[in-house]
Amino acid sequence: MPLLELKDISKAFGGLKVVDRLNFHVDEGEIVSVIGPNGAGKTTVFNLITGIFHPDSGEIVFEGRNVAGLAPHRITKRGIARTFQTLRLFLNMSVLENVMAAQYGQTHSTSFEAMLRLPRARREEREIRKVAQDKLAFFGQRLAGYRHDQMAYSLSYANRRRLEIARAMATGARMLLLDEPAAGMNPNETLEITELIGKLRDEAGYTILVIEHDMHVVEGISDRVIALDHGVKIAEGSFDEVATHPLVIEAYLGARAAPEAEAV
Amino acid sequence: MSEQLGDTGIPAGVPAVPGGVDHPRVGVDEWVASHEGRREAQKGVTGALYRAWDRIPAWGHLVILLGPFAIFPFVANEGNLFRYGLITILYALLAMGLNVVVGFAGLLDLGYVAFFGFGAYLYGIMASGHSGHHLQAEIAIPIATVVTALVGLLLGLTSWRLLGDYLAIVTLFFLQAFVIFVNNANGGPSDFSYPFVGKVDITGGANGLDQIDPFNLFGYHISTTKQYYFFTLISLAAVMILLYFVNESRTGRAWRALREDPLAAEVMSVPVNRLKLLAFMFGAAIAGYTGTIYGAVQSGAFPGDYDVGLLITIYAIVILGGLGSIGGVVIGALVVNGAPELLRSSENARFLFYGVLLLALFVALRPWYRPVIVLLGTIAFGFVVHAIVGAAWSRGTAGHIDGGGKVGRALEHWVLLPTHVNRIAGWAYFALICAALVLTLIHGWWRTLALIPTLYLVAFVWENELVQQVSGATRLILLGALLVVIMNVRPAGIFGTSRVEIV
Repeated sequence: MPLLELKDISKAFGGLKVVDRLNFHVDEGEIVSVIGPNGAGKTTVFNLITGIFHPDSGEIVFEGRNVAGLAPHRITKRGIARTFQTLRLFLNMSVLENVMAAQYGQTHSTSFEAMLRLPRARREEREIRKVAQDKLAFFGQRLAGYRHDQMAYSLSYANRRRLEIARAMATGARMLLLDEPAAGMNPNETLEITELIGKLRDEAGYTILVIEHDMHVVEGISDRVIALDHGVKIAEGSFDEVATHPLVIEAYLGARAAPEAEAV
Repeated sequence: MSEQLGDTGIPAGVPAVPGGVDHPRVGVDEWVASHEGRREAQKGVTGALYRAWDRIPAWGHLVILLGPFAIFPFVANEGNLFRYGLITILYALLAMGLNVVVGFAGLLDLGYVAFFGFGAYLYGIMASGHSGHHLQAEIAIPIATVVTALVGLLLGLTSWRLLGDYLAIVTLFFLQAFVIFVNNANGGPSDFSYPFVGKVDITGGANGLDQIDPFNLFGYHISTTKQYYFFTLISLAAVMILLYFVNESRTGRAWRALREDPLAAEVMSVPVNRLKLLAFMFGAAIAGYTGTIYGAVQSGAFPGDYDVGLLITIYAIVILGGLGSIGGVVIGALVVNGAPELLRSSENARFLFYGVLLLALFVALRPWYRPVIVLLGTIAFGFVVHAIVGAAWSRGTAGHIDGGGKVGRALEHWVLLPTHVNRIAGWAYFALICAALVLTLIHGWWRTLALIPTLYLVAFVWENELVQQVSGATRLILLGALLVVIMNVRPAGIFGTSRVEIV
């Protein structure tokens, strides 16, 4: 049974069909890339999976249960966490606090317990801090010790992307949705993020669905590639299969001038 | 390939920690990080003070902030204890709740003082000669607090769909509805007729709900100002401690996250709507609790007390102290309530006036020798003018400074004090405004030099015109100027941290 399965998902904004009867699945431990030209509906698919939008029809099955229609924080609690294409860190909180805040769904002590410093609140607080440090340690020197108390806004662009991943990891999710993790990075940083995504699966055991425009990254990481255009899946398979698929080439480069078109 | 990746972007030999032997190359991560640190580090005395303050543990902050308040009743008389002491800590306690809603969670709630009113009226209904019920305070206070919190929950529901300006408008409506309700709910002709019971006098209408009982806690009667003072002070300390712990917990972090970015918070497993309600409930509970104390202190609840004026005062306290800062609220209350009271005496007002002028001079003029030149120049200029006018027109220096003191007597030898000053002062005021406009047009050394006669003119206008009305308009002008100066020096409030919105 796949970990995540989209069944006939459709979403329209007014008259515009952004996602049209989309079907795909992601197996446990897989890295699947979603590609497609701008406006193909990739980020909308992420928004649908994470509950920011609700699908008009269809089912999103995660771990055998339909999560379509749930509030985003409930879906995250079930085990799907994401990063944002346009970074959305809590800029005026420290690096460590960003990661600690994401563990809200994993903890249970109430504000009353916190006010009175009851044992469960104190224990959970220690655990939250420990987990946050562990998640940041995954990024080695990049988000190491002395940075923990710095404000998120003082981080460089690449480190903000890393912090977003750390924050998503801290939610306790099994599956990460990464929305253009290499966007805006220089070639060196892109290589590094490629390796990091592999590490996330191999060492940390995450299942990963990733949107990416950089074909080198897609080629380097993907077990499987799904190509979207106008909200419809146009190809699926290994990187080579998808990259040479005529519909994908057409979507990116436009159709070769067809005789009928010339006639008109 | 992987061997290179570890130090991508940083040439070999650059240490990971800034401040090492080699400095990080400009533009790499480490440089960006330490650059931000450099920019943030404050220079000079204020910077050192803030850093020292940060090193003190939290309980130390509490002792420093509230310690003077604990001593105050033993040195102040009854009237001062009420005006400076009790009202300040009541304001501080009330502003604590607003700080949760606006500072922690970032929800723009303009209906906040309605909860304060709810507390006072609820307590009045449960324990007053007006209503005829006389519940013990230990029962009435918790009931009033909890009911107010539930009303807060209801109002908070609007924040599920509304944020920012829209939430502000709806909550402001709520406040107005509350004021209109308490103004009319006296069973009179304009009152509602309630189902089953008909017209009932609930709030006493425009005349207020009077004869509210003093607190009777477990048989212990709180009635003097000093007793109320200590009761409020202990409540304030307790609320500060509880809020500090909440703010350091997962709830506090979730509030901050939702203030920063509600969508990201929601996706990071924070149930945003529930936390908004919780913030509203916290705020309303604190306001309701403060309201019961205020009702008992005033021995009455009056509609005019819970109006937009109070709302602005409480907002000023929270913003001046620094949004989201618990200690800042206390300082904010001290400034906002203390300053206008202190300014009632012309001596204090003069002290503050010249103090702010000096401070502004030294803050605005760089490098250091310019303000010194202006200052010495102004003093010399004053004596010269005084000597010339004294020789030529003896009436021009014959006046006296009211509210003397040593400073006042010294000033009599410096500033011109004509007798029968009215018309001259009016023209001087006009000239001062023109001079201020001219100052904005010139630059460099010309401006520095032009400052000298202008400052003398300022002193002249102050001593001959403004100081006469110090308990009226001048006091408020000064307060406004003081707030403008403070907010300019510390844009994020006294204890606030400046927030970065977009980078």
